Amino acid sequence: MSATSRGDFPPELHDAHAAMRLGPYLRDLWERRSYVWYESVSELRSRQVTNVLGNLWHLLNPALNIFVYFLIFGLLLKVDRGVDNFILFLSTGLFIFQLTQKTTTDGARSIVSNKGLLRAIKFPRAMLPVTGAVTEMLSALSSFAVLFVIALLTGETPSPRWLVLVPLLAVQFVFNLGASFIAARLTTHFVDVIQILPFFFRLVLYASGVIFNVTSYVDEGSGVRVLFVLNPMYCFITIGRWAMMGGDLDLWVVLSGTVWSFALCVGGFLFFRAAEERYARV
Amino acid sequence: MSEVAPATVEADAAPPVSVNVVHADIRYRVFQDNFLSARQMVSRGFRGRQSVDVHAVDDVSFQVRAGEALGIVGSNGSGKSSLLRAIAGLQSLTSGLIEVRGRTGLLGVGAALKPALSGYRNVMLGGLAMGLTREEIDAEMEGVIEFSGLGDAMGRPMQTYSSGMQARLAFSIATLRVPEILLIDEALAVGDMEFRTRSLERVNQIRDEAGTVIMVSHSLKEITDSCSRAIWLDQGVLRMEGPAVDVVAAYEESV
Repeated sequence: MSATSRGDFPPELHDAHAAMRLGPYLRDLWERRSYVWYESVSELRSRQVTNVLGNLWHLLNPALNIFVYFLIFGLLLKVDRGVDNFILFLSTGLFIFQLTQKTTTDGARSIVSNKGLLRAIKFPRAMLPVTGAVTEMLSALSSFAVLFVIALLTGETPSPRWLVLVPLLAVQFVFNLGASFIAARLTTHFVDVIQILPFFFRLVLYASGVIFNVTSYVDEGSGVRVLFVLNPMYCFITIGRWAMMGGDLDLWVVLSGTVWSFALCVGGFLFFRAAEERYARV
Repeated sequence: MSEVAPATVEADAAPPVSVNVVHADIRYRVFQDNFLSARQMVSRGFRGRQSVDVHAVDDVSFQVRAGEALGIVGSNGSGKSSLLRAIAGLQSLTSGLIEVRGRTGLLGVGAALKPALSGYRNVMLGGLAMGLTREEIDAEMEGVIEFSGLGDAMGRPMQTYSSGMQARLAFSIATLRVPEILLIDEALAVGDMEFRTRSLERVNQIRDEAGTVIMVSHSLKEITDSCSRAIWLDQGVLRMEGPAVDVVAAYEESV
């Protein structure tokens, strides 16, 4: 009942607690990619398994989400000032925002909800937040399918510019990984992080112009505008809207979003890994 | 930290040292819940959660050689599990050194990896987390089902399993990829006679194939049957080390 050992452990005596160097750690993590993929896909399959409409919910969920937001902000509160296609404007912002929100929330639970696995098996712990990020990215694909349907239904003509969403989501994935690593470790220090996150993201929702057009409310060149450009979520959403709806794109927004992503990912990873041994004890 | 001795130079005949524990020391800081009422909390200035230092393992040193099975005996809370987890690299040491040769595999109680998921998915996730490929695990799956005797129950969530069924599956998962060093923490205790016999056979087989087995058990017969040597931990301190029968006899006499 034994599989062949691949001999990735040195045959000589070695310190069972030696901190793994970065190279071998990343290699070990790469070797766990089938775990990441298998767990992400089975998680998505099992999420809807008890619902009557089953996998249809992967599409219904984002559609209903947009419907509710549009009802409240578009029709009741009329915050659609300065926007031609408010439904598409809102959908793009909301889906991009929710991707980061869900990934970070998943990340926050990734260590504390996997005690059984952590206590039994030694593996690079970063595997768990990475799995959450991949799961949410796969789950978001259905949201973006809905987004394209909304764009077509609201009369946008398909444009090659839409393809910009692909590199945008790739960069945002890098950002989400970083946010996930940080949330995962913080939760092992204070479980309360899970309670705080919804409020934090509610704040980010309003601070990133998800439901209103920042340019219609804040003067160009003002100090407040600079603050928005420094907010990575605002940058991702702005790029996404440009891809779907056209218009002008401030290159500072692209630069800020990209720098944020890679800085947060590297910083988050180092922060997460510094407590690697702690995670078996939570 | 006191001086850390390297593994002793091996004599030609003796098999190599595969686990070298040198002055291992483990202390935890745990929060103590005093079950205070709100009023008591206020009067104590919200210091209801007091932290206590637990000295789980106190300056323990020993060596185990390849092909050897070592038993660990001791009362509850004597630091046996902490020590095993430290050898597995899952629990950090406060001071000291633990060296191992090859891969360690820890088999503990209540070892559902993800209780809400089916037995099948637990086997898959456990194997993938160890770094096996899907194909390798699929190739083992039949053997797992056969060894664990779970049959159709493989599709049910693991939290619906009896503790014996969980133990069977956990044993199968831990030995999916035969570790050079198998650490068993009371995991066989909840199984029935048949499972214990079969898993002990498997343990002995791993030991005979020049693997190393370290076994914590309250069944002293299991220790004397499978292990040539044993150590006795008493409140984290190594009280005695020697032939399993002698250590078990001394331990039995003390309780």
